[in-house]
Amino acid sequence: MDITSLISPESVVPSLKATSKKQALQELAKYAATLTGLHERAVFDVLLERERLGSTGVGNGIGIPHGKLPQLTRLYGVFARLDRPIEFEAIDDQPVDLIFLLLAPESAGADHLKALARVSRLLRDKSMCEKLRATSTADGLYALLVASEAQAA
Amino acid sequence: MSGADHIILLSGGLLLVSILAGLVSSRVGAPLLLVFLGLGMLAGEDGLGGIVFNDFQGTYTLASIALAIILFDGGLRTPLRTVRAAWAPSLALATIGVLITAGLTGLAARYAFHADWPTALLMGTVVASTDAAAVFLLLHQHSLDIRRRVAATLEVESGANDPMAIFLTLTLVELIAHGGSKGLNLDADLSVLAMELGYRFLLAFGVGASFGILGGMLLGRLVNRLELAPGLYPVFVVAGALTLFGATQVLHGSGFLAVYLAGIAAGNQRLRANTLIRRFHDGIAWISQIVLLIILGLLVTPHTLGPYLLPGAAVAIALVLVARPAAVFLCLTFTSFRLEERLFIAFVGLRGAVPIYLAMIPVLERLEASQQIFAATFVVVLVSLIIQGWSVPWVARWLDVQIPPAPEPTNRLDVNLPSQMDREVVGYTIKDGSGALGKTLAEMKLPPGTRLLAVLRENYVVPDRALADFKADDYVLLISPPEHTMTLDRKFLPKRRSEREKEMTMVDFSFPAAAPYAAVAAAYELPMAPEDQGRSLADVILARLKVAPVRGERVRIGEAELVVMEMDGVNPSAIGLRLEPPPPPQAVTRLRSSLLWAHRRLGLGRLRLRRRRA
Repeated sequence: MDITSLISPESVVPSLKATSKKQALQELAKYAATLTGLHERAVFDVLLERERLGSTGVGNGIGIPHGKLPQLTRLYGVFARLDRPIEFEAIDDQPVDLIFLLLAPESAGADHLKALARVSRLLRDKSMCEKLRATSTADGLYALLVASEAQAA
Repeated sequence: MSGADHIILLSGGLLLVSILAGLVSSRVGAPLLLVFLGLGMLAGEDGLGGIVFNDFQGTYTLASIALAIILFDGGLRTPLRTVRAAWAPSLALATIGVLITAGLTGLAARYAFHADWPTALLMGTVVASTDAAAVFLLLHQHSLDIRRRVAATLEVESGANDPMAIFLTLTLVELIAHGGSKGLNLDADLSVLAMELGYRFLLAFGVGASFGILGGMLLGRLVNRLELAPGLYPVFVVAGALTLFGATQVLHGSGFLAVYLAGIAAGNQRLRANTLIRRFHDGIAWISQIVLLIILGLLVTPHTLGPYLLPGAAVAIALVLVARPAAVFLCLTFTSFRLEERLFIAFVGLRGAVPIYLAMIPVLERLEASQQIFAATFVVVLVSLIIQGWSVPWVARWLDVQIPPAPEPTNRLDVNLPSQMDREVVGYTIKDGSGALGKTLAEMKLPPGTRLLAVLRENYVVPDRALADFKADDYVLLISPPEHTMTLDRKFLPKRRSEREKEMTMVDFSFPAAAPYAAVAAAYELPMAPEDQGRSLADVILARLKVAPVRGERVRIGEAELVVMEMDGVNPSAIGLRLEPPPPPQAVTRLRSSLLWAHRRLGLGRLRLRRRRA
């Protein structure tokens, strides 16, 4: 699963401003809506529903909100680096400042899971996170995320 | 008298050297028990010490006491939830497993030593029990966080199979020694012999079990009732355990079973002076351990081992590679252990002091082949300690039976309240990396029933109102129900970030255990059986496991894996989802497919049988 097939330089947000988890998800839904052409509200609802099951704050300041939308035709990712860490109900109770949003079509099946596993593995890499936190431009972040591909392959 | 002085100097010195050598051994990863045994040999007649020591009778008595104490201590530190998680497989391993191991190892001994059947079987029996002390130490020394149910099975098995091996050895020795004289008569009818054996078995284990459980409960009650000087409580407990051991033995019960069960029964009550008792027992269990192995090392005469080395090693290899795996696989047929877990349990059948102790019995009974048995046993134990002891961490990693390490409660203070109060006082120093750093009390979300007693900062007690957040080096005192102390550990202790933890793939997402399975299954394409409808994640895990879950337990569901991340008392509280669980090692996959193949062949055989009957 290629990271490049999930995100493009346009889907990287270098400094997202949000003060709460809800606001962050709303902002991300807005970005996702412009990328996918879906309704902002629909994206937000799917994400919120998933969060109700259990927070996608996986620890170490990382959040991976995700969900399935029937209207999509392919997988979409949005990567955001937050201005300030926010409370995300993460499993380690630590605030979150790096978010990778992943949206999948209802029928994506195994591809969706592979993409999720890929993203989760990528952001579990501590040195990668440090580099992402130290980078403030969209192009720089995109380059980092994509460069990981070469190493992982 | 100078004789006494010399003995004191010698024993003190040996003890000191052992402890220091233990320190070094944990650095190089050598099995601790091997070091103690080696020191004993080094001090002995063929080593530097040149001490000639041949007192089998004295050693036997001393070793019995040491073993009783080690088993009692093992019971004391076995929480009921461990027993609950593992009693069925452990029991099978400790009874049928011992028989199978003994039989198969006996078979190997018969050919390796050209021994007659009784001697060969006796050899097999003597080495049939895994060593509690060796297993505990090995798992703890390498601070291996083995999946709880695997570790629990190994621990309970190693405690419970000693009585079985001891019983079998005594019976066999008696059969061989006084075949015609006493109650056991080899010439008598087979049914009479079987009756007599059955009667003895029931007596040994019936009396042992009932004395153990009742005695342990009584001991706990007495400790809570009697007003003693605090220092006397642990001594009282040891005295009680030894009395119980002796009384059970005198009544032909199994004293070893009694003390082990008594330890469990007493250890799972709220005891007055609990911490004192545990510390004390920790100490004397160590002493017993060291003394036992050093004396056994002294007792053996290495230069006479020569002719037994090769056949002994052959028996050891047969034991490790054939007998133990066969016993484990047969006993665990109907359990939900995975193949890797079975392999690991089969591999960690460590032999320690118990076989050597058992090998003394034929010597004391002056059996003809006793020297041969003793030497062979010693070789088997040495080989087992060297091969298995050294390779366990590696094997654990290879078979992927480890779990993410729990935070180490070394920075936790335990204060024991008067008995019967279902609360514990715990204290933590807030260190770098602690989850509490910079948090306010409200943000800490303390578990129910838990209250902050005080925060000490730079030698003064922070007033409640002035407490904004927790700072580094704060000393925090809390009172909490005992089942929540693990949760507190997690909240207040620094998160240990070891290489191993990083390297072990953690779960991708985690959920509260009560989350509906249907929703999770829909989100992650997990298979959904009709009976899983309406179940929570915890229910699904419970239904698959069929036994009490423990932290780190994993259940394969479709392509993914559910992992018990946290426990609250006896119930899972958080469950993780691993989307791409690591594939098992290739050799394991190959073994699995050949086992499946063999199984199919067996099934075919059965089919044919049925057809013939029809």
